[in-house]
Amino acid sequence: MGIATSDKPLLARVKESEQDKFMQASVAKAQDAQHTKREDSRALLGNWEEWRELGEQIRQRAIAYLPDYLEEFSNNVDKNGGDVFFADTEADAVDYIQKIVKETGAKKLVKSKSMVTTEIDMDKQLLALNKGLALMETDLAEFILQKDNWDEPTHIVFPTLHKNRDQVREIFMKLGYEGDNDPEHLARFARKYLREYFLQADLGVTGCNFAVADTGMINLVTNEGNADLTMAIPKTQIVVMGMERIVPTMADAEVLDNLLCRSAVGQKLTSYVTFAGQQVAGETDGPENFHVVIVDNRRSEALGTQFQSILQCIRCGACINVCPVYRHIGGHGYGSIYPGPIGAVLSPILGGYEKFGELPYASSLCGACTETCPVKIPLHKLLIQHRMVYTDRLKMQGGLNNFMMEVIGIGTGFPFLFRSAIRFGRPGLRTMAHKTDRLTALNFIKDEPLVDKGPGLVGGWADVRDLPIPPKHKESFRSWFADHKQQQKLAQAQKDNSSDK
Amino acid sequence: MKVVIFSTCVVDLEFPNVGKAMVEVLERFGCDCYLPSDQICCGQPTYNSGYEKGTQRTFRNQVDALLSVESDYIVGPAGSCVAMLREYPELLKDDPEYLGKARILAAKTYEFSQFLWRILGVENAGAELNGKATYHRSCHMTRLLGEAESPYALLEHVKGLEMVPLANAHDCCGFGGTFSAKEPEISKQMVDEKVRHIEETGAEILVSCDPGCLMNIGGRFNRLGKPIKIMHLAEVLNSNVDERRITYLKQMPV
Amino acid sequence: MAIYNREAFLDHLSEKLGTPRHQKDKEPFTHINQLPEETLADLSADELLEMARNTSEALKVTFKVTSKADLGGVLDAYLTDKGDGQLILPTAPDKIKAYGLDDWTAAASNQRTVKYWDPKADRATNLATAQDSAMAIGFGDYMLAESGTITVPSSPGQGRAFNFLPTHYLCIVKRSNILPRSTQATKLYAQRLKSGELKTSNINYISGPSNSGDIEMVLIVGVHGPLDMTYIVVDDM
Repeated sequence: MGIATSDKPLLARVKESEQDKFMQASVAKAQDAQHTKREDSRALLGNWEEWRELGEQIRQRAIAYLPDYLEEFSNNVDKNGGDVFFADTEADAVDYIQKIVKETGAKKLVKSKSMVTTEIDMDKQLLALNKGLALMETDLAEFILQKDNWDEPTHIVFPTLHKNRDQVREIFMKLGYEGDNDPEHLARFARKYLREYFLQADLGVTGCNFAVADTGMINLVTNEGNADLTMAIPKTQIVVMGMERIVPTMADAEVLDNLLCRSAVGQKLTSYVTFAGQQVAGETDGPENFHVVIVDNRRSEALGTQFQSILQCIRCGACINVCPVYRHIGGHGYGSIYPGPIGAVLSPILGGYEKFGELPYASSLCGACTETCPVKIPLHKLLIQHRMVYTDRLKMQGGLNNFMMEVIGIGTGFPFLFRSAIRFGRPGLRTMAHKTDRLTALNFIKDEPLVDKGPGLVGGWADVRDLPIPPKHKESFRSWFADHKQQQKLAQAQKDNSSDK
Repeated sequence: MKVVIFSTCVVDLEFPNVGKAMVEVLERFGCDCYLPSDQICCGQPTYNSGYEKGTQRTFRNQVDALLSVESDYIVGPAGSCVAMLREYPELLKDDPEYLGKARILAAKTYEFSQFLWRILGVENAGAELNGKATYHRSCHMTRLLGEAESPYALLEHVKGLEMVPLANAHDCCGFGGTFSAKEPEISKQMVDEKVRHIEETGAEILVSCDPGCLMNIGGRFNRLGKPIKIMHLAEVLNSNVDERRITYLKQMPV
Repeated sequence: MAIYNREAFLDHLSEKLGTPRHQKDKEPFTHINQLPEETLADLSADELLEMARNTSEALKVTFKVTSKADLGGVLDAYLTDKGDGQLILPTAPDKIKAYGLDDWTAAASNQRTVKYWDPKADRATNLATAQDSAMAIGFGDYMLAESGTITVPSSPGQGRAFNFLPTHYLCIVKRSNILPRSTQATKLYAQRLKSGELKTSNINYISGPSNSGDIEMVLIVGVHGPLDMTYIVVDDM
């Protein structure tokens, strides 16, 4: 299934989200709480705009020299005794991971949270390929999703934002939980359940926040401690990383960690910020076999294009937390494991326009995403760029709305046409207007027929809101202005006349 | 001071009162106003919908029209549309004939409240309006134009007007130009939340500097049969003016 | 060990980017500003300590300052407070001596089971020891004032799981090693790794006990890692 979480069209997903009042309430609550935490933590740091510029610079540098830094990183992993596999596609990545599973004879796999493993659908593929393999998601949220029959995540930082404590309790009861719905009790149960499993694990799979080119170590930023256990206990570790996760040095990673923690959860640093790699001589835990799988999976489609800046993303989810569209339609509304503004930009690149081409339209272009992005990705502008590809080049849209947009394009390009629109807008819209007794928005709605249904875009507007028909031509602003100027001239002439006398 | 009025298509088509109020306020402060008749629209409806090439003519027409009258400033009653004109140098960067003109245009174009406060230095416009109001800050005016202060500063000095802060003021009202018509199911939920927050303030009057948002929020209020009075800031500042109340800022904003 | 499928992969990226490979060293990279270094750089030692205390306590860390002479007593009080159970200590004779804890470690083993993370033992043994320990008392390198963080590189005598499996965790740090921010610590680690002075596969920056907000965004302290965290700053070191 890749990054898609649904086969339904956008409108159907939006309608489903609208029914899910718990999800909507918890997203709104989360957004509002995160707003305060995030903005406070940034204010406390000070000079936020300059920090963003630095973050942007580091990420742009890493992407501009992506092949060089990946080469340096892989050389260093190799030098430290690890293996690196460059995977063009998700199938290549899964094949390599499968090879390691076979070679090591792994029986119990533990996983920490990683969006890219969700993207390549690693879990289900490995389970299908290896009858004797047990696999456990150990991040609390991912564990809940897994035990809920692999429910799909709705947020890249808070994957279970759509679930309430009663639902979590029900899921855990199937695993033997007998307590109440107190989140702390639920979490303690998960701790105990997963700890037993952890201690027997022989293969760990982690994601990677940043890969440090000049040391060959990876940098992980977490709160629960499961990622560190995943890197400590099993003999073998596989790191799966999107190819753009690279940074030049530890110092660069450290700057980004500071931006990431504040932007994602409003913390100065999360509980655990770890630099880790291949076990060195004398150590008794940590990976003896350290593998890094570097995944392209269509990311390179963005390189050298107007979309290159999307690879700067550090997956903090701040754009999701400020998005007014996400606020209502939630993660499942996007139909992609990458929701929100980042998802609406990334999904068409990774998953194609056929499947995700409508996502860039599911935005009011309010710019909240661009404003909050800690590495200055111009997200709302990239959404417009997608719309351009979608309409101008692919010509996939067509239909009445397309026709109307073409008409608006022509109408706003020629002054005489627009002046006709001012003149004939009233009689034109009058044909779609109806007499109603609604007159509550004063100084806007007049006691005249209202446009409340119509074809195409007019209908889209009128399904939700009333529109007054335009004023009579002689009452338009332009007519008023012409009269006004005329009167000023007359008054001036009179004044001049009287002063002549 | 010669000021060209950038009327915006929304005001031309739906909000004559906003245009009138803006001109009357500007004239009160000594501006000689001009309204070039060839101007149409900033181009957002089509450009933001992905019709890049189809919008080039709109951009060029707008540049020619607004520069057709020699002026000191160009002033418009919509933060979003003004932000778009400010982006013209970027949007016309591949058009050698128009790039220079676009830069001239962008450099002297201001949103109404911004012009009044930052350029003319008006502190108290002399208006009086009795009632309780809340202000809707538009996303484009705040984030793209970067103007988050001037309307609040001017509203503070309107006699008789009680301003109530709006919860979640940073959230979009769901207008988004053609988004409101193309994705009504999403837009409806957004505007409903905005309506709810406005209702919760207990305000009788909703003020904004973007007619597009007012059209969206006002249209939804009316559809729901909920009472509200919709006013553009220019209309507020043009209410019951007593010129003796007019004051200017002692220090210009930076 | 080995690198697979690299050249074709990187050539493809280079082609997409429209720039040849092996260019980065021709254009050295310097940060456009020095905010990471400048932020909080002007704090005095006393201010750093105060900030560290405040930020740590905000993370629900028990924060204590003590002298080298009183350290043993403070650790005893900690153990008494946490109750029964096995204690795990690092195999770090130099540090134990430097902190003047030789006698204390001997005495502690008379009170309860004290075990060590053993460089000579195998993985399973050390993991089992850590798992069976109710408390861990370990040594940290640096403390970061801004974020209430201690930093701990893994070593043969204090492995990765030492910091994660025991239920209660205490970390001892010298007051002179309190730094303003993660920037200074990272710079030191980068230098020490590069020079070969530090050989480690793992560096943890730990800020308080483990936590999660995954269930209805309610903050739960203590998930996979330790349930609580204590920092002891040794004043005269």
